[in-house]
Amino acid sequence: MRTVKIFIKAGCSRCPQAKQAGAALKDEGFSVTEFDVGTTDGLAEGAYYSVQATPTVIIEDQNETIIGDFRGVVPSVETLRDMLTGK
Amino acid sequence: MGSLVELKERQAPVDVHETTDLTLFVRTSSENLTGWDRQKIVDAMVREADVPSDVANRISLEVEDIIVKAGIKFVTAPLIRELVDAKLIECGLEEARKKHTRLGVPLYDVDQMILHPNKENANVPHCPEATNLTLAEGIKKEYALLKVFTADVGDAHMRGDIHLHDLGFIDRPYCSGQSLEYIKRFGLSLPNSLSIAKPARQPEVLLAHMVKFAAALQSHFAGAIGWDAVNLFFAPYLEGRSDREVKQLAQMLIYEFSQQAVARGGQAIFTDINLYWEVPKHFENVPAIGPGGEFTGKTYGEYEKDAQRFVWALFDVYKEGDGTGRPFFFPKPLVHITEKLFRTEGWQDFLHHICDVASEKGTTYFVFDRGETAKISECCRLSFKLNASDIEDAKSPWKMRFSALQNVTVNLPRLGYRSKGNDTALFNNLRTMMELAVKAHLQKKYFIESLLALGDTGPLALLTMSTDGSPYLRMHRASYLIGMVGLNELVKIHTGEGLQESKQAIKFGLKVISEMSLLCKKYSEMYNMHFVLEQTPAESTAYRFAKLDLRDYRDHAQNFVRGDVATGHIYYTNSTCLPVGSNENPIERVRTEGLFHPLIEAGSITHIWLGESKPAKESLSNFVIKVFRETQNDQIAFSPEFTNCLACGRTVRGLQPTCPHCGSDKVDGITRITGYFTKISSWNKGKIGELRERNRNKGFFAK
Repeated sequence: MRTVKIFIKAGCSRCPQAKQAGAALKDEGFSVTEFDVGTTDGLAEGAYYSVQATPTVIIEDQNETIIGDFRGVVPSVETLRDMLTGK
Repeated sequence: MGSLVELKERQAPVDVHETTDLTLFVRTSSENLTGWDRQKIVDAMVREADVPSDVANRISLEVEDIIVKAGIKFVTAPLIRELVDAKLIECGLEEARKKHTRLGVPLYDVDQMILHPNKENANVPHCPEATNLTLAEGIKKEYALLKVFTADVGDAHMRGDIHLHDLGFIDRPYCSGQSLEYIKRFGLSLPNSLSIAKPARQPEVLLAHMVKFAAALQSHFAGAIGWDAVNLFFAPYLEGRSDREVKQLAQMLIYEFSQQAVARGGQAIFTDINLYWEVPKHFENVPAIGPGGEFTGKTYGEYEKDAQRFVWALFDVYKEGDGTGRPFFFPKPLVHITEKLFRTEGWQDFLHHICDVASEKGTTYFVFDRGETAKISECCRLSFKLNASDIEDAKSPWKMRFSALQNVTVNLPRLGYRSKGNDTALFNNLRTMMELAVKAHLQKKYFIESLLALGDTGPLALLTMSTDGSPYLRMHRASYLIGMVGLNELVKIHTGEGLQESKQAIKFGLKVISEMSLLCKKYSEMYNMHFVLEQTPAESTAYRFAKLDLRDYRDHAQNFVRGDVATGHIYYTNSTCLPVGSNENPIERVRTEGLFHPLIEAGSITHIWLGESKPAKESLSNFVIKVFRETQNDQIAFSPEFTNCLACGRTVRGLQPTCPHCGSDKVDGITRITGYFTKISSWNKGKIGELRERNRNKGFFAK
């Protein structure tokens, strides 16, 4: 199953938009995990994915291989949905 | 301070203040003999340790009684002081005993120091000047632990929970980043100097000023002296000079700094020169300073060609090596790889040139400044990242002076032994150590500030000179470094897997370093100081921690320390690095280790050990570009190995047991110990253990 990882931080102007997209996908049953890079776990996960800007959205396949990433920008829910469903 | 006391027959009348009829003469540090005077013992206790005079008087009588009854024929002043201290303990005056302690070195130890080399720092040779350094360092270490730091901090260092670096240089800041612009603009006018030099008019004179200033700085900092954009700042002096003259200057610069093993303690000045092919963006429009300290009317952007001629010539010299073909150990050339480099004409040829030197001699360091990042690098990996105010300072580049005040390293594997696999315990223990490190920094800062407050009559007068209107040492811009040793071993102890064994292990390692990084931020805000993580070079700390853990946590530690436990050649893996012997291909190592680098603001490096292989410059060049484009790695260096024959003087590739030219077994290996090249015979046991396990990446790079 493909999953979405969203990296956000406090005070980031575009992060609410990314969170909103994540919430919409979650409502549709997709696996979405949010990481706050101001926390230890969030920062560590962000470092693993070389997150240099927030928001960053990463889509992985079932083998945890990255199949798409958006760094410092917020993709539309449709774009993310298409990537998650393999369209 | 008294030195020796000798019991002798009275040969001369003694002072009327004498309180006893003992026939003693005291040999003092002033190199004269004075008579026994019990009152001096009383005075010392009152003056040095605030002991009430009646108590001091009683103790002095008891000590005198012991000496009389013992019938000792030869008494030393340290013995008398120890007898007094024992009495202070008997009286429950522990704090007074501490204040009254005598700092010194046992006769046996001095004997050993004079006869045998000190291998704590491979950059210190064995000579009388080095012995002086070791002796002075020993006393200042004791002083620091007793006087500068509180007992909890000092004890944590002694136990090996943390390591307080350069305790022997307690009265100096740690490392520094310098700008040539300061001496170009103001000349060489140092406190206590016998003469004052106006700004240089010739490049050779500028070089002479730079070398002398570096030596003066070495006397005021514990560690490395880094110089920013050296080729660019020399450029205004090189206009109209022939290529031959420029090459000659390059040769002079490298030899001047590589042959400075006559300064402090016989040490070469640990010198780094930051170099650029392009003109860094933040200097492009800055008015250039030229001969006589005058502005030339041009900007540095207009000196690109002369700066390029100089940096090219420097690498010509590095490629030739010294008189016997050995690599130059200092000054270390740190070439900045930036986006602008790839837009600057001639970059490919330049990259091939410096990669050729990297392959041939290993001398080149590749520092990656991605995006808008700009920094000054130095030491084994330390870097000062330039913030907005620094970039503003670049308009007056003589202001760009940076310093790290101290470095404190946390022993990570020990946290693993103590936490017994419990996450909560581990992170609580980590926080406790970070708090101790911060406390140590506060105490060092307080001490240095007290010395700086003495101004131009104090010991740090050079750092308080304010030629440009502000003190040379800009305390408000100082960094306070917190390092780490043995992340790989901690992760293995705690999770059962080393960093190279699984993604989960890497993620756990990142979690530990993330916690440290966030704590640095928290404490920075709390104390309005700049706490930052650095990959400690740990030349001797990785050995010291392993040795102490093997003593105090033997059952656990013997399974995790690296190297050979039986022979004592043991060590922990440096900082956040993968084990030196793991067999990832180099790009994978650079990528994986690079995941940690953005969390370590004050500098990181990945070493690629080459052994005796000599890759093609094109192969290394492609590798460097790939590292810049596809990883987050901060800095890399390629490390070949050499054998220098002490009989015939020739240098050959690889570590050889005998000289292939003359067959002599009087040979010495040369390779990178931590962040610099040096002779292997000067390495400590831990580093020798590490050397044996290094993966030489044989066959990865095209020849």
